[in-house]
Amino acid sequence: MSRLEAKKPSLCKSEPLTSEKVRATLCVLKGILTSSYGPSGRLKQVHNGLGGCVCTTSQSSALLSNLPVTHPILKILTTSTKNHVSCFSDCGLFTAILCCNLIENVQRTGLTPTTVIKLNQHLLRLCTNYLKSESCGCRIPVDFSSPQTLLCLVRSIVTSKPACMLTREETDHISALVLKAFLLTIPENTKDRLILGKSIIVPLKGHRVLDSTVFPGILIEVSEVQLMKILPIKKSNAFKVALFCASLSGDLSDTGEGTMVVSSGVSLENAVLEQLLNLGRQLVSDHVDLVMCQKVLHPSLKQFLSMHQVIAIDRVGVALMEPLSKVTGTQPIGSLGSISPSSYGSVKDLCPAKFGFKHFLHLIPNEATICSLLLCNRNDTAWDELKLTCQTALHVLQLTIKEPCVLLGGGCTETHLAAYIRHKTCNEPESILRDDGCTQTELQLLTEAFCRALESVAGSLEHDGGEVLTDMKYGHCWSSQAESPSVVNWPDWLSRCGCGLCNSQEELHWSFLKATQHPIAPQTCLPHEATGSSNNLTLDCFTAKLSGLQVAVETANLILDLSYVIEDKN
Amino acid sequence: MAALGSAKAALQVTEVLETILSRCLGPEGRQVLCTKPTGEVLISRSGGCLLEALHLEHPIARMVVACVSSHLRRTGDGAKTFIILLCHLLRGLHTVIDKEQDSLISKNIQTHRRHWKNCCQWKFISQALLTFQTQILDYIMDHYLSKHFLTIFSSSTEERTLCRSSLELLLEAYFCGRVGRNNHYFISQLMCNYFFKCMACESGFEEVFDLVDDYFVELNVGVTGLPVSDSRIIAGLVLHRDFSVYCPADGDIRIVIVTETIQPLFSASASEFILNSEAQFQTSQFWIMEKTKAIVKHLQSQNVKLLLSSVKQPDLVTYYAGLNGISVVECLSPEEVSLIQRVMGLSPFILPQASSQYEICNTASVKFCKPLTLRSKRYVHLGLISTCSFVPHCIVLCGPVQGLVEQHEGALHGAFKMLRQLFKDLDLSYMIQTSDQNHTSSPLTYKDSRESNPLPEIVNGLIQRPYQGTVVKNKGNLAKTQTYLKVYSNLVVPSVELETCIPCSTPKVTPTDTYQTNETLRCLAPTKTRTIDDNEPFIESNSANSTAENTGIEISSENLQVTKIAGKGNMLPVREKSLEMCTSQSYCCSTLPAGCVLPVGGNFEILLHYYLLNYTRKCQQSEESVVSMIIANALLGIPQVLYKSKKGKYSFPQIYIRTLHALQTSQPIVSSQKGLESVAGKYQLLTSVLQCLTKILTIDLVINIRRQPREMYDQDSDEEV
Repeated sequence: MSRLEAKKPSLCKSEPLTSEKVRATLCVLKGILTSSYGPSGRLKQVHNGLGGCVCTTSQSSALLSNLPVTHPILKILTTSTKNHVSCFSDCGLFTAILCCNLIENVQRTGLTPTTVIKLNQHLLRLCTNYLKSESCGCRIPVDFSSPQTLLCLVRSIVTSKPACMLTREETDHISALVLKAFLLTIPENTKDRLILGKSIIVPLKGHRVLDSTVFPGILIEVSEVQLMKILPIKKSNAFKVALFCASLSGDLSDTGEGTMVVSSGVSLENAVLEQLLNLGRQLVSDHVDLVMCQKVLHPSLKQFLSMHQVIAIDRVGVALMEPLSKVTGTQPIGSLGSISPSSYGSVKDLCPAKFGFKHFLHLIPNEATICSLLLCNRNDTAWDELKLTCQTALHVLQLTIKEPCVLLGGGCTETHLAAYIRHKTCNEPESILRDDGCTQTELQLLTEAFCRALESVAGSLEHDGGEVLTDMKYGHCWSSQAESPSVVNWPDWLSRCGCGLCNSQEELHWSFLKATQHPIAPQTCLPHEATGSSNNLTLDCFTAKLSGLQVAVETANLILDLSYVIEDKN
Repeated sequence: MAALGSAKAALQVTEVLETILSRCLGPEGRQVLCTKPTGEVLISRSGGCLLEALHLEHPIARMVVACVSSHLRRTGDGAKTFIILLCHLLRGLHTVIDKEQDSLISKNIQTHRRHWKNCCQWKFISQALLTFQTQILDYIMDHYLSKHFLTIFSSSTEERTLCRSSLELLLEAYFCGRVGRNNHYFISQLMCNYFFKCMACESGFEEVFDLVDDYFVELNVGVTGLPVSDSRIIAGLVLHRDFSVYCPADGDIRIVIVTETIQPLFSASASEFILNSEAQFQTSQFWIMEKTKAIVKHLQSQNVKLLLSSVKQPDLVTYYAGLNGISVVECLSPEEVSLIQRVMGLSPFILPQASSQYEICNTASVKFCKPLTLRSKRYVHLGLISTCSFVPHCIVLCGPVQGLVEQHEGALHGAFKMLRQLFKDLDLSYMIQTSDQNHTSSPLTYKDSRESNPLPEIVNGLIQRPYQGTVVKNKGNLAKTQTYLKVYSNLVVPSVELETCIPCSTPKVTPTDTYQTNETLRCLAPTKTRTIDDNEPFIESNSANSTAENTGIEISSENLQVTKIAGKGNMLPVREKSLEMCTSQSYCCSTLPAGCVLPVGGNFEILLHYYLLNYTRKCQQSEESVVSMIIANALLGIPQVLYKSKKGKYSFPQIYIRTLHALQTSQPIVSSQKGLESVAGKYQLLTSVLQCLTKILTIDLVINIRRQPREMYDQDSDEEV
């Protein structure tokens, strides 16, 4: 009997954004996010008073998934950031900070939501059209013939995660490894569509970062005892492999919905075991060298196989099944009866390996797009952070293959974009105002709020008390060291802009980012102009940032449009 | 505990609801965030969702919500308008009652008795409402309002073809009230594209609506974390799961559907399998294996490349399928299976019981079958070849958060419901009262005669639709049109001029007049040049209907170029009215043809208001006139909310006065907004509200019980015991 219980009525609040409490919480969240942003961002230690491990991080994905928020508006903001991160891995903090900034700035203007949403949409379209256009001044095409740009991209990602606790040398090492791992997943000869392989990250905690390596093929962790049993491996030029997805533990498969009556004296276990041993005999007669099973192997079968010098590994797990079948070229076998010879695969070599205290069996493929990235770091939290970083970098590289261009990092894209929008709305306001009933003043007000929001994101990169400036030619972002004198000869104090493309020795004029900006038409600063600078650029993923920008504006629009919050109190 | 006076309580309740919902109404409406107890967040502007999320406790409120949801189930639209209208009606009733009470109060009745007296009064009113709803409303709709209706079809001939531009206008207006302001245009375009892509032929759109409405969940895929603008339409069907085995295949890909495991089992349900020896077990296992192998082999020999299964298949089956190059998709939902069956006309493959006798095999071809990755989740993408008028396409809906994706899904589904409703004929039936006999007889007879002698649509070939309506009913008119045409033949005529030249006749002569068309045409602006070369002389061969017209007109038009207004062709006045005179002289049935629309922005409400007021003036019975008056005034509540934020020329009083003036002087009404809405939807909404109000008014006492609800026993089962 179902229990009936009256539902409590919900709580309905009007104009949620005007409440002081919501503003304060938004402000706190923004503070947390901005202080973690960028290479010099501060680390956050999140720990649950009720138990669980302490997480030290500055990454949005780790931070937001560990940080519970209660207010529905904040929930919208954090979920949309988390969803963005799960799609693109990168630019999560950028999205969240931009969204917070937009909400805050727009509220200050006091315009009606209708106008704000309309205009925000127009400005967003301006941004995306500009970023996608050929004339875009903050976009660099990727040259796949040299690894330089990709390496810069990976390095920018690794350096922007300070919680990995890497030295300069370690950063270079990890960046190179990640790029190598990525290149190993690209198939050599493709027909029509490029299908990328997979890099499997193998954990090895408590070791030096410089011990990390990349192998083609798969590392399967085995216990030392098991390895001793396997050894020595007889040498041959190729090993025949069988991969099972069905359980070989001797359990009875589904017998149907009806009942099964077993006469006394009949042992089904024996019958099944007999069947398993028959299977073993077939494997031996087919000259299989390695048998792997996703589930459990019956001990007797294992014994039988090892007697016939067949290496048997069980409990591989479902996660490894797809890479294993790809590496060995097998078809996972689901039958205990006759096995078609076409389901067998092979590996080039099979060798035991020992890293630190862990033993592995290394499957070296003939030709495959699967590689293993053995990742080391000193402690658990730093390792977790490094793993996330490497995953992000690998994902970003995949996205870059699809859309072969990158954006300038170090805040330069944001300031450049802000300058462009100011210029556009100041000189051609008709194109925006044409179709809907907004006035020019409203447009000016909102453009200022929008550009300020973008510039504050760039400004959040600076955490050490320095000044953030922008130049009047390219619209790039520059930051000076702390305690610089108030009136200075800027070229001496600034060396390179945020992305590293522009040099301060050019004839440039600067203005503080906080000061009122005059509309300028930002020019394109090309990498080949500044010779030698292309080796050490700070770059961002194009796809992730573009989508982050769109998601941030859409989320801000959504939050600004709320007129009621109905909370279900059940 | 009992509470008196439910009408009063109902007013209080609806007023609260009105304040919440009126802020979400119309193009200026804003969003509401609802949290669920599970922690999920939903973004919504749909009235039905909000009312449900509020979890109202008050019994009257719960009744109102139940009425709204039953209305929504039928039409998929109008929850917010429902509440606002109800609130205004209750308010109107109260002011009337209060006035009467003031006069009564001197009589010094005891409070208790007064309450019961009130209840009697409410009862009378509710009866009057019922009469209104069943008789007067239909009468007014048919006689007065119908001449203002436009249709969504691009021609008024037998073959109904949908016009894209008017569908766009209709959808845009719908989504204005349903999704966020920044997305409504995008979503309505998406839906329009989707609809036209799914439609195999012009005429089969009803089937498309039915199918999409029934299988909406299966036909869309939600993706979170991407901007809304990444939403798109994919050709083919996307199944919400991954392949169990995928073997790339080209060319003729045949598929089968199975609903049970291919591998035979030891024992079927309700049967017994007796095992006597180990050898028996092994042989039976061997038999099972061989049998499975044989079935899969057979499938392969039939060129089957894809096996769709509604159940999980054993490892053995997937293994053999993989070996034979057959891809497998398992665990399809019953809805997915029935959708595929309906689209492809494919019935499930029945496993043969006897061995090796399976020559009859239900297979069908697909264009392609490949994995599709959306946001690192894998789906199965099938290029189904349709056998019905629905060409399968899927909508991929993107949004930063799940709540927004759900809102868009809900809005799209509602739109399909609304369209499905729009394309059904609506029956109107009413009694003609004797007192009104004089008034109604003339249009009736007129219509009747028209039916028997349909005017050949002569101008048709020459100048297209808009002038069809002007096929004239009196000679003066015709002459004017004709002269005008003569004057302008061989000329490029700007459309505005054309319209201004359309003769104005008095509405008395032609009840189905043409002003409405012209007026709407003018406000639906972008112009498009269109050349019509039809050199045939056109001859009017008019029958007995009017002798004066028999003269015959010839207009030889050579290369007559008419600048035609886009979207104009479809804005026809709805003229075909299958009006039947029933056996009883006073009983009348007619239908509101499918696809009737009116411009948005409270046009329906103001029109109905105007005609109701006119009606009350003629009406003798006091109850009826009071009720009609209240309804007429309450109807204005909706445009009032819609134009709340508008100022100056577009403020509500201005618009109201302008429209009334236009109606009185029989001039075209100029609407400030483009966009259309369904008349049938509005009509049904009004009837639902009136029914709800009648229900509220018939309650006199609310008895509050605090006890666990008793279990309801089924009477039949009692008898069995």
